[in-house]
Amino acid sequence: MSSDALWQLGPETLVALAAVVVYVAGAFAAPRAAWSWVGLAGLGAAALCLASTTPQAAEPLRIDALALWLRWFALASGALLILTSWRPAADADGAELLGSLLLIIAGMMLVAAAGDLVLLFLGLELISIPTYIVLFVGRRTSEGREAAVKYFYLSILASAILLFGLSFLYGAAGTTSIEGIHQRLLDGGGSLGGFAGLALVFIFAGLSYKIAAVPFHFYAPDVYQGTTNDGAALLSVAPKAAGFLALVRLVAVAAEGVSSDAWRIALALAVLTMTTGNLLALWQDNLRRLLAYSSIAHAGYMLIGLAVYLGGNTLAGAAFDGVAALLFYLLIYALATVGTFAALNYLGETGQPVDHVDQLAGLAWSEEPRSRATAWLIAAFMFSLTGIPPLAGFWGKLALFAGALGVRGTEPAMRSWFVGLAVLGIVNAAIAAAYYLRVVGAMFFRMPMGKPRTGGSRSVPFAAAVICALLVVAIGLIPTPWYEAADRATPAAAAREAPEMIADAR
Amino acid sequence: MHGVVFPLVLFFASLVGLAVALLLLGQFCGPRRVTDVKRMPYESGMDPIHPTRRRFDVRFSLVAIAFLIFDVELLFLYPWAVVFAGGAQPELPSGAAAAGRPPLVFAGGMVFLVLLVLGFVYDWRKGVFRWR
Repeated sequence: MSSDALWQLGPETLVALAAVVVYVAGAFAAPRAAWSWVGLAGLGAAALCLASTTPQAAEPLRIDALALWLRWFALASGALLILTSWRPAADADGAELLGSLLLIIAGMMLVAAAGDLVLLFLGLELISIPTYIVLFVGRRTSEGREAAVKYFYLSILASAILLFGLSFLYGAAGTTSIEGIHQRLLDGGGSLGGFAGLALVFIFAGLSYKIAAVPFHFYAPDVYQGTTNDGAALLSVAPKAAGFLALVRLVAVAAEGVSSDAWRIALALAVLTMTTGNLLALWQDNLRRLLAYSSIAHAGYMLIGLAVYLGGNTLAGAAFDGVAALLFYLLIYALATVGTFAALNYLGETGQPVDHVDQLAGLAWSEEPRSRATAWLIAAFMFSLTGIPPLAGFWGKLALFAGALGVRGTEPAMRSWFVGLAVLGIVNAAIAAAYYLRVVGAMFFRMPMGKPRTGGSRSVPFAAAVICALLVVAIGLIPTPWYEAADRATPAAAAREAPEMIADAR
Repeated sequence: MHGVVFPLVLFFASLVGLAVALLLLGQFCGPRRVTDVKRMPYESGMDPIHPTRRRFDVRFSLVAIAFLIFDVELLFLYPWAVVFAGGAQPELPSGAAAAGRPPLVFAGGMVFLVLLVLGFVYDWRKGVFRWR
């Protein structure tokens, strides 16, 4: 790695440095709120560094618009996650949790900036390994341990499958650079080019675990239920964002056009994932388990975007690019989900988190004004996740489904596959309304069970929920700039800006 | 795609075939003359004096993890020292050649050492070296 590349990795270095400071200083003292401030300061310094660095090509890195989008996303979602897990009291393990969270953010940014298979895998592991610590230290009950062990073993298996796929990609192209693989496979990849198609299958399998797509979703409900609300918020954002970026990088960029089956895999995964997630969520009473199935279902919606991009060849005048819709949806999903967990964190007391839908009963008629406000916040997030019009979730689903309707297709019957995909997506959104509205119904139309919640002194998670809700409403009212920001980050936009380079490459 | 799948199937079939064949060969052709001495658990040539399935104190594993700090340090410092002393070798890949500038190599090694010392400090503060 050259010194240019080291300078380009300045933001990642600053976040990792903040993690080291928190880990070591946390061994000397335990005021948790102070470490949260250190973490926020580290993220702020990284944001300044990211804003002031001019992106330039440096060998193992690939700092394009997509990388910049995900790095900003990682910093912003990291700040929200720190606010969500804010605790006022001294906490023996607070420093470990916060340091691990910072390392996960650095890992997401590294995945975004990686232009090489090895660096990409390193970034994914930098997300996975601290996640084991967060899951284990976060909740030391038997359920928490079960969650940590399940996540640990299955995550290792998924990493091994992904590495197996990457090795085939390397074998087919003879290089680990993503750009190099792309060039080599466009040229036909020699006699080993066929291995790239095989690699795609393993890459889809390995990364399906990270994004919690069927049939690699089995861990999600148990792990979400077993861990804390903070841990579940982290799991629903960080591995998903990094996994989707790695999928776009590997399947849509590195192995572009290698296999005509790529869109079929993405389409089948999308259908299975959203249907399974939504149907199983209908039976859940545990809030984190419900949100775990919701997280699976939303991974399915986002896979529609990937399938649309891989299907390529859109109708003239089709307004929505698949990858842009995916990124836009990821942002909206992350805001609503982190916001929900932050609101639940505000309601719970130390050692007694809010677990069940029943515990939210009658929240909207609570005597405490902030608890009443929390009911409205959670309702806004649920409506956005359902996709009810004035909120952000509607525009996200519109972009994905309209994108699927806009695919013309290069093969016979391909268009009807995508029309069917869009119809199934809409049916799924209707199914999902049932369980999201059940949560809202419990808060607004049921009698409170037990004493009304006091909320306590956790004003910072409450503030995080308010920020998320404001953004959900803002994106709902003015979606265009947010969608355009995602649109500028797609591989298609990169090709529009430099058509002559692509022409040369071909 | 089909041109690729056939060699792969052949590869996996021969893998499984070889493993099964070796096991079966050992099963059928191996002579079995069991004596008391052969059945005895091997313990460095000593006569076993207690059951070997005992619980170990969890503190041993903490010591093993702390040992890793020094082990990994040694593992990385050898190649670092070679690159630092000899400069970039012509047969190294381009990335290593670009990194072969002495100040950068030296700084990289120092950052690595500082991080290891921080890990050591963390262990010390967390009471890993206190044999309670």
